[in-house]
Amino acid sequence: MSMYKLNKFKQALGAAARRALFVAAGLLAVGAPAALAQKLLVPMDDAQQNHLKAYGLTYNAIKAGASAEWLLNYRGGSFLLSDTPDLRRQAALAGITVEPIDNAKVADIRTEIAANNMEAVPLEKAPKIAVYTPPDALPWDDAVTLALKYAGIEYTPIYDDEVERGDLSKYDWLHLHHEDFTGQLNKFYLTYRDVPWFIDLLQKNTATAKRLGFANIPALKKDVAEKIREFVERGGFLFAMCGATETLELAIAARNVDIAQSFIDGTPMDPDADKKLDWSRTLAFRDAHLEQSPFVNSMSDIDGHQVNAAGRQQPLGTFTLFNFSAKFDPVASMLVQDHRAVINDFYGVTTSFNKAVLKPADIVLASEEGAPWVKYIHGDYGKGTWTYYGGHDPEDPRHQIGNPPTDLSLFKNSPGYRLILNNVLFPAAKKKPLKT
Amino acid sequence: MNRGSWTAALLLAVAFHVPRATLHAQAQAQAAAQAPAAPDTMAFYKALDLEASGKYRDAAPLFRSALHTTAAVNALLGLERVYAELGWSDSLLKPLDTLIAAAPREETYRTVQLRTLQSLGRDADLRAAFERWAHDQPTSSAPYREYARLLMQRNQITAADSVLARAKQSLGTTKDLQLEVAQARAAQGEWVESANAWREALRSADYLEQAAAYALAPTPSATRQQVRDVFLAPPIEVPARRALSDLETSWGSAADGWTALKDLPPDSISAEAWSEFAKRAEADERWTLARDALESALKWKRTPALALRAATAALNVGDAAAAMRLAPMADAHGDSTLAAREYLPVQARALAALGRPADAERLVAAYDRFLAPGARASLTRTIAWGWVRTGDMAHARAALAENGVEGDSSDAAGWLALYDGNLKTARTLLRGGTESSPELALALGLIARLKVDSSAAIGQAFLALARGDSAGAAAQLVQAADRTPGGRSLLLATAAQIQLARKNDVEATALWKRIIVSDPDTPEAPEAELEWARSLHRAGDTAGATTHLEHLILTYPQSALVPQARRELDALKAATPSV
Repeated sequence: MSMYKLNKFKQALGAAARRALFVAAGLLAVGAPAALAQKLLVPMDDAQQNHLKAYGLTYNAIKAGASAEWLLNYRGGSFLLSDTPDLRRQAALAGITVEPIDNAKVADIRTEIAANNMEAVPLEKAPKIAVYTPPDALPWDDAVTLALKYAGIEYTPIYDDEVERGDLSKYDWLHLHHEDFTGQLNKFYLTYRDVPWFIDLLQKNTATAKRLGFANIPALKKDVAEKIREFVERGGFLFAMCGATETLELAIAARNVDIAQSFIDGTPMDPDADKKLDWSRTLAFRDAHLEQSPFVNSMSDIDGHQVNAAGRQQPLGTFTLFNFSAKFDPVASMLVQDHRAVINDFYGVTTSFNKAVLKPADIVLASEEGAPWVKYIHGDYGKGTWTYYGGHDPEDPRHQIGNPPTDLSLFKNSPGYRLILNNVLFPAAKKKPLKT
Repeated sequence: MNRGSWTAALLLAVAFHVPRATLHAQAQAQAAAQAPAAPDTMAFYKALDLEASGKYRDAAPLFRSALHTTAAVNALLGLERVYAELGWSDSLLKPLDTLIAAAPREETYRTVQLRTLQSLGRDADLRAAFERWAHDQPTSSAPYREYARLLMQRNQITAADSVLARAKQSLGTTKDLQLEVAQARAAQGEWVESANAWREALRSADYLEQAAAYALAPTPSATRQQVRDVFLAPPIEVPARRALSDLETSWGSAADGWTALKDLPPDSISAEAWSEFAKRAEADERWTLARDALESALKWKRTPALALRAATAALNVGDAAAAMRLAPMADAHGDSTLAAREYLPVQARALAALGRPADAERLVAAYDRFLAPGARASLTRTIAWGWVRTGDMAHARAALAENGVEGDSSDAAGWLALYDGNLKTARTLLRGGTESSPELALALGLIARLKVDSSAAIGQAFLALARGDSAGAAAQLVQAADRTPGGRSLLLATAAQIQLARKNDVEATALWKRIIVSDPDTPEAPEAELEWARSLHRAGDTAGATTHLEHLILTYPQSALVPQARRELDALKAATPSV
């Protein structure tokens, strides 16, 4: 308990209570009932009571300057932290399982790691996190912000104004979720054009585009996409989910081509748009084909599941995480640390990525056996990296607009959400070149 | 189409809409059934018999031959059913083409065609069939309705919504498609728009009230007021208000459910709505709402049954005077048996509650010879209770003594023992009793855990509570706490519970503080800490609430309340969404 809170609490109790509380606080301060060990092991296998908050504990420990290691493939990707009273307190408050261990046990663990497909990766610096999200609440939620809030990891919401004025350089890690970087507002115009939230969304985006000197929303979003591309090229870490994955790539490839339908910019899509796309500039995909019809709620053939395109929708299955060499491929290993290797799939505006459109250098982290698509991919771009995770909400496989947000206290061991939080921590492990 | 999907399709058709052409066809079939069968429809009736006996293969050719008779529409529906059973639905397409070519305006043929194509998974052909229908009947809403429904059945909500949007463009209105619009909007989370459409649909189809309430039940709390406003907007319409009442109840607020109904104009339809609402409220023991609803129904038309229900509800909310007024003995119209059975219990309870046990005693005595034995014992307990309320324990005991052995072992005797401070006897009698009430739960929860067998102060506390003096009861429990070291924290926690029910957070907080300081090792300490945190949160002191929750978690890690404390801590820190 911090001194501030302790003092407030003492005042509340009144003088008669002070002696009793002093004893309680004193016991906590020395780490009662056991004395402090050398390390705290945060197991991430089935022994862990709250996997998601364990990431927050680790992130905040690094942020506070404590030493931390990620024990890849050891008990589900456990964390090894310094044993401090504050960490024990944070763990107790959040219901996170921690195991105090002494140097002898640490040595045993290191021996086991050395002899197996495991690795101990030091976590050095908590990345500064930005989440690209509109300032106004929209009738859907974002799995990453839900996960960050639940885990207790601080982030800064940014949107078009901040990106356009160059604020991306202030952050190490950027998350994108549901945004449509083609500027067509997810083609919601087809069904929501008379709905107040859509009208509001359209007006605000149009106003922002005008204010920032762009002719229309597609022009603004393409420029934002370009700045995000540059952010990665300069060394940033990008994590995108759902529709942001597909549309970011399309917007980058279509830098000089009109791929927006007339309902949003007043002109039809360039009839030769498909041929004019420049895939040399994109991060993950190549040779995808645009959806030409303004009446089909799909952007391209990048997504394997096509959830909103009548007659094309593919059923959900399960996806399997790949097992990488922790010693030789620690980054990919970090991204797939989990206590479950097979996870139920979940829909999103973009649910999966067709294998046919992947670039050869892409690293597939998870896929559905026998399916022509993959779920979770990663790669390097310039000095930075990107990771794409298809789908909207790992614990709400058919999330509909207007559905209530997922309460993660009911899914505190979610293997699907763990993949999101792996992405938050992995930049802490990599020594990356300075951004210019 | 297998049997399951066929049944679903049929239910949907019955539940939501029966196209005019089908109604026409049904009328034709009924008329045909009443008249001697014409030779050309003999095949159709024989096919029906074969279908009923499960001989689908034999029924199919007869239905097919009947397609060329006056029973063509019904024969087609029969053929659709038997082909579905046989897995031959694709064989229906050719005859359908012929039928549609011959009668392009017959909606049933078109509908069956769409259903068949959907069941075969031929999406492109389905779309094309819809387009042809819309083209052939440009002013009809039927093509849009049927196609949108099929899409919604397959959870293709966006596509269904596009069809409805097209209907609006083509027809200039979706007035005839409000049900489909409402369903599509609800499925897309456009709750307010859905509510508007439901209200429109209810104007012509009041039987959809429950469907509307069911569809709108998932509305997020932030949007509920807007949905309410839609249904409450003038003019007042009974189906809309009934739908809102159901909706409010599903959202957990029966009181708001009553708000939706209370302004209805007094007529027979409203009276029925009030009576039905009261029935649900009675089942849930929401007596205030039941009383209000029943009194409204009585204002329209007074019936003895309604009046007795209203009087019982009034008694259960403590309005004894109203109970006496609502169900007077005179309503029995001189029928003494009826009076003793129905009206006397209400009047006796009301008199006892009003502190007039002597009057109750006289009234019961007057009808003594009309009472069944069990009823008499119950009335005696009621009278004893009345004496307790006046503080005359001697009279109460004397009244119970009239019941002999039964009186000594009754719930009422258990209460009397408790008021006397005889906890041992009270424990035995109340635990084995038949009564179930919040007061009993409170009493048993306390005395079952206390190790002492007698305590005058505890008896006085419960006596004060029985007399409606909750402040006095709390004070007595605090006094008892000082004299009962082993049960101190429990008595203080019970006193705090009573203060909390009185909305006296200041007094309750003082008691919680005392528990935490004086008895930190008791199970009541984490409970007090949790309640204190909640009280602070209600008062807007988030930091204080956080401190107490953290203290609870860290100090009492083994307490069963820790998971709840963590949940509330997460909510305070906005780590979990507020829904």
